Amino acid sequence: MKHYANDYSVGELMCVTLAREIEDRDVVVLGSFTPLAYASYILAKITHAPNSTLLAYAAVDFKPFQLSFLRAEASATRGAPLMWTMLEDLNSVHLKGRGDVEAISSIQADQYGNINLSVIGDYNKPKLRGPGGAGAPEVIKMHRKMIGYFPSHSKMTFVAKVDFITGTRYLIGPEERIKSGYRPGPIRYITNLCVISKHEKDKPFRIDSLHPGVKVEDVVNNTGFELEVPEQVPETEKPTEEQVRLLREVVDPYGTIAFDFKPGKERLGYLKDILQKELASIGY
Amino acid sequence: MTGESKVGKLSDITKIIKDGDKVAVGGAWLGSHPMAIIREIIRSKIKNLTAITVVGSIDIDLLIGAGCLSRLIFSFVSMEAFGLAPNFRRAIEKEGLPHDEMTGLAVIIGLEAGGRNVPFLPYRGPFGSDLVKYRPELYKAMKCPFTGEDVIAAAAIVPDVAIIHATRADHRGSIQIEGTSATDIEMIRAAKRRIVSVEEIVGTEEILKHPEKTKIPGFQVDLVIEAPMGAHPTSNAPHYVFDAWHILKYMEYAATPETFKKYLEDYVMKPEFEYLEAIGGMKQATILRRLAREVKFL
Repeated sequence: MKHYANDYSVGELMCVTLAREIEDRDVVVLGSFTPLAYASYILAKITHAPNSTLLAYAAVDFKPFQLSFLRAEASATRGAPLMWTMLEDLNSVHLKGRGDVEAISSIQADQYGNINLSVIGDYNKPKLRGPGGAGAPEVIKMHRKMIGYFPSHSKMTFVAKVDFITGTRYLIGPEERIKSGYRPGPIRYITNLCVISKHEKDKPFRIDSLHPGVKVEDVVNNTGFELEVPEQVPETEKPTEEQVRLLREVVDPYGTIAFDFKPGKERLGYLKDILQKELASIGY
Repeated sequence: MTGESKVGKLSDITKIIKDGDKVAVGGAWLGSHPMAIIREIIRSKIKNLTAITVVGSIDIDLLIGAGCLSRLIFSFVSMEAFGLAPNFRRAIEKEGLPHDEMTGLAVIIGLEAGGRNVPFLPYRGPFGSDLVKYRPELYKAMKCPFTGEDVIAAAAIVPDVAIIHATRADHRGSIQIEGTSATDIEMIRAAKRRIVSVEEIVGTEEILKHPEKTKIPGFQVDLVIEAPMGAHPTSNAPHYVFDAWHILKYMEYAATPETFKKYLEDYVMKPEFEYLEAIGGMKQATILRRLAREVKFL
């Protein structure tokens, strides 16, 4: 029987929820270094998905490692039986639709499955120039599921229509996906308030579950598009005591997951603390 | 030692990179960018370059801030956990730096097309993305001539010069890459001229001990430069991690154009060995190397 934890952070809840999206034998890709996604995949790998294949940087099928702010790339590289180029990665995983999950985040996301990592405002005269999409705008179509995580669920992020479509799921319903040679799977967003998902092009996002203590109106009032609200919305499954222990003691003892949840002003100080701890770990 | 030597000095890059060139910059994220070469481009005052990057960070931000670029082709430029890239943002938001944003896959496939000497390669590309609408010179929706299926053509990218940083080489330019190879090999194949900096130059007999690590043959290399810590402040996995302490400092300097000028004075406009002293010398290099060695598997 599962012993659910009572003491956990929203970051840990999101991390475990994302880990539960990983099934055994999934092929899971890590893009830019984002502690929450890395921790989720590694947690899944050492618990319910030991046969998943993790890919990061040039490293293929690397051994699970203790997360660190500085050492993710070195760890993945040292623990990998194979290294390949980005082109080999695309040819082997992405283009043929063999990837299962590559969680993304975005500055804006809308009701159509579009993401925007490019600009806020006019494309040619932006108020904010974002980083650009890297792999995200296309992998969200190619992989079996499109999974997004959003540490701050608000109308700033979840808008009716993104300012610029950097990328899109494009093929949403199972029939059109299969017809184009892609495996069917949902769009699912894990936020600090809830889990929402979309399964058909012409149907809205639906609230799958609310995190403990969150009400339907908290979600509806913070979302810039229409949501389907089932009559009974389940509560998001809490992390188990064992999952929380593994995260804190084994996967992420430096506390990198919390980084994304710190307010802007505290982030720098928090990062410097992590760096101090990492130095101490090698005897400095 | 047989065959001519490709080995030269950092200052030799001016024989290969000229004002106005299209330069593909290797590495990805905060890893293995050819930073020593980038600093030398700035020192040499090479201007009006078009930089091409798949996943850029401080490499591109530094080139922009130093005024070396007149155009940028990119899929992503970010300082990752440290924030958005300050010079990149300013240049596009305030100064209108001309730029071509592409998806990461299109840059990689475009480079592959360049290497294959074809004008484009088709793939199941970014249908529905505004990038296709905004950049018709880079993307075209088309029908497969055999089946009629919809595909997207990614235009070939042919850089004048590719610059990458790798692990080791011999005098002939056999290049070994042990860590994140990113799109370095595709850039080298596509480019007309190529410069590779490496952590160490070794004898050919050393290369022959692990020929499987050699990813680029000497005939695809024009200049090899020995530049230990040449990717700093980015990483060179699995040998050293990125220098978070220096990047934090960089973010402070880059916060305004005025303070960024001071960064160039304090760190870039001096010989490379003085740069390595300024960032903490052997002591800091040892810390970054030890961190890359002391990893823990579960």
